[in-house]
Amino acid sequence: MKIHVCVKHVPDSAATITVMAGGRIDENITFLLNPYDENAVEEAVRIRERLPDTEIVALTVGGEDAACTLRSALAMGADRGILVAGDVFDSRRTARYLAAAIRRDGLPDLVLTGKLSIDAVGCQTMFRLGALLDMPVVNAATALTLEGRRVVAECEAAGGGRLVMETGLPCVAGAAKGLNAPRYPTFPDIVKARKKPVETIAAGELAIDAPAGGVEVLALEPAVQQRRGEVLEGSAREAVKALVQRLREVERVI
Amino acid sequence: MDNEYDAIIIGAGVIGCPIAFELAKKGYRTLSVDKLSDAGMGSTAASCAIVRAHYSTVDGVAMAYEGFKYWLDWENYLENVKDEKGLARYMNTGSILIKSKGHDWRKVKNNYDVVGVPYEEWSVEKINEMVPVYDLHEFWPVRRPEDPRFYDEPTGMLEGAIFCPEGGYMSDPMLSAHNIMRAAEARGSRFVFNAEVVEIRSENRRVTGITLKDGTRFDAPVVVNVAGPHSYKINQMAEGVWEGCNIKTQALRHEVMHCPSPPGYDYYNEGYHTSDGDIGCYYRPEVGNMFLIGSEDPECDPQVWVDPDEFYAGEGGPGRDNQLTESQWKAQCYRVAKRVPTLQVPNQPRGVCDLYDCSDDWIPLYDKSDLGGFYMAIGSSGNQYKNAPVAGAMMAELIDACQKGLDHDKEPLQFKLKYTGRSIDVGFFSRKREINTESSFSVNG
Repeated sequence: MKIHVCVKHVPDSAATITVMAGGRIDENITFLLNPYDENAVEEAVRIRERLPDTEIVALTVGGEDAACTLRSALAMGADRGILVAGDVFDSRRTARYLAAAIRRDGLPDLVLTGKLSIDAVGCQTMFRLGALLDMPVVNAATALTLEGRRVVAECEAAGGGRLVMETGLPCVAGAAKGLNAPRYPTFPDIVKARKKPVETIAAGELAIDAPAGGVEVLALEPAVQQRRGEVLEGSAREAVKALVQRLREVERVI
Repeated sequence: MDNEYDAIIIGAGVIGCPIAFELAKKGYRTLSVDKLSDAGMGSTAASCAIVRAHYSTVDGVAMAYEGFKYWLDWENYLENVKDEKGLARYMNTGSILIKSKGHDWRKVKNNYDVVGVPYEEWSVEKINEMVPVYDLHEFWPVRRPEDPRFYDEPTGMLEGAIFCPEGGYMSDPMLSAHNIMRAAEARGSRFVFNAEVVEIRSENRRVTGITLKDGTRFDAPVVVNVAGPHSYKINQMAEGVWEGCNIKTQALRHEVMHCPSPPGYDYYNEGYHTSDGDIGCYYRPEVGNMFLIGSEDPECDPQVWVDPDEFYAGEGGPGRDNQLTESQWKAQCYRVAKRVPTLQVPNQPRGVCDLYDCSDDWIPLYDKSDLGGFYMAIGSSGNQYKNAPVAGAMMAELIDACQKGLDHDKEPLQFKLKYTGRSIDVGFFSRKREINTESSFSVNG
C-alpha cells in the first residue's frame, strides 16, 4: 500500500502571534507540524505496522522552513518527504500543488490529512484534493478500519454526534484528534529522519492550472481573550447550588 | 494604614519571604512589598526548585548542605504554621553528578569531603543498574543540533558518577514561598501585593523608605532588595548603591523544558535528579511522569540578557520574551534524548521561560550596600532556591549586626550554620569582591 500524508507547517498554538501589515503574522516564532496532521501521520504508521509492505510519503507546500515540519513527520515514521517549494496562498492553490505532486509521485491507495489546519481553519484542502484526484473524502475521522479495499470511517458529526461511513480505496481521509494518540519521536528516530530522502520540487515545475480567482486576506486580527473568572459567594452548599443552577439554566451544559 | 516599619523587604519570592520571617523572629516589624499579586509568583514560580549540594566552592557546598536540613524539617522550620494552600513537599530522589569534562567534579568531591556531605562513587555499570534508561556514552563536547557534529556517533564511555543520597527538589516552589510568608505573618510580618516600588528614599546617606507607584510611602531605617530579576533596577533607584557594587546583576533569559518519560519507565517515582555536564543539562522528575530539563549554560548556547519589564510584558520581541524558542527546545531536549534514547520528544515545545537574576560570577550578593540601611540578597543566578531558608537566616543576622554597628566591609560577619556547625564568611558574597574565578560561571554556581 502507498499512503500520501499531506501536512502543513503552522505556527505553534502556544506562541504569541503578532499581526503585521498586509494580513500576515510575524513568522519569527515556532512553527511545527499541524497537530491534526500528527494524527494523520500516526494513522499511516499504524497501518504500516499492520501491513508492512506500505510506503508512507509526507508532502507539504511551503518555504524552506517547512522542511523542518517534513522532518518531524519523517521522525514519526514517514519514509520520505516531498516539499513543494512555494508560497502558501489559499487552499485552492495548495490542493492543486499537492494533487500535482501526488500524481507525479504516483497515485496512492490512501491520502491522509488532518481534519483542518490550526492556522487557517479552512477545512477545504482535503475536499479539493478529493475532487482533483477523483477520490471520495471522509473528514474528521475518529476511527478508520481497512478491510481489503473497503474502508469504514467513524467521523465527528454535528452536535457531538458520530457518523459511520463506508467507502473504498483509494480515498482521502482527514484525521481528527480522537483517531489515535500520536507517538513522540525519540532521538534515534530524529537521527534516522535526518537521513531519509526529501525531494524538493519548485512549485513552478508542477505547472498547475492557476485557479480562476481565489481568496485574498484583507484583514487579520488577533483573538481577544475575554475569559473572566467569577466567584460564587456564600457557603459551599450555596455556591454549589448556584453553580449547578447556572450550568443547567444559563450555560445549558448539564 | 501603618506606614512605618523596622524593615522593608522588596520582593516576596522564596528568598524575600525567609528574610522577612527571620527578621520578624528577631523582633523586627517588617513589611514585604511585591509588584505581583501573591508570594512566589515571580521567577520563584518558574524555579526547578532543585535541592542538591554540589557547588564549585566549599562555602557553596556548605550552605546548600545546610539548606537540606530546613527542607527536610519543613513543618518545624515554618513553626507549624497553617497555610490554607497546603504545604510544599520535599521530594528526595537522590542526586547524580555525572563525571564529565563539563563539571569540575573532582573539586566538588573535595568540597564534599571538606564539608562532610555523604556520597557514593558509582561506576558506569552501577549507574546503569540504577537507571537502566541512561546511555552512558560520552557525548562531550556540548554542541547545538544545528551543528552537524551533534549527530556524530559517540565512541568513548563516561567514567561514572558521584551520587548523593540526599538531593531532590521541592514539589511546588511558589507554594514554598507562600508557606514561608504565612510563617512570617504569624510572627507579625505584613505583606502588600500589587505594589511596585518606584523610589527608594534616603537622607544623609541613609535609606529612609520607599514610594510605590500609586504614591503610597512606607518608611523604615532598613530596606532590603530581594527583587529577583528586577534587582538591578531597584539598586539603581537607591542612592549610590548600584555604583558601589563591583559585582553587578542582570536579567538572563532561561528556558526549561518538559518531555514525557520513556514508555514503561516510572521516572517520577524511580528517577534521580541528574546534573549532566557531558550534555550541558540537568534534569529531574516532574508531575505527570515528565522529565524537567534545564540548561547548564554550555558555551555554545547564546546568552540572552533582557529588560525584565519588557520580558514579562511579552514585548521583548521573538527570542527575547517569555515564550519558548524552537531552537532551544531542540537543543535541550535532544541533548537529554542522547542520554535517554527512549525519551519522547514532542513536536510542540512545552515548558517554562523565565529569568535568572544573574551576577557577574554567578555567585549571589548577600550584603550591605554603600547606602546606610540598604541591603541586598540578589544575583541568585538560578542556583539559590535551595539556599533560601539559610539565606534568610544569614541576611537577618547580617542586617541585625550591621544595624547594631558592625562594619561588615572591614570585618565580615561569620555566620554559623546551625545544623552543620560550620561557619561561613559572609564576606564571600560581598558586592566589593573581585569576580570569583573558582565559580563554574553557570547555574551550577
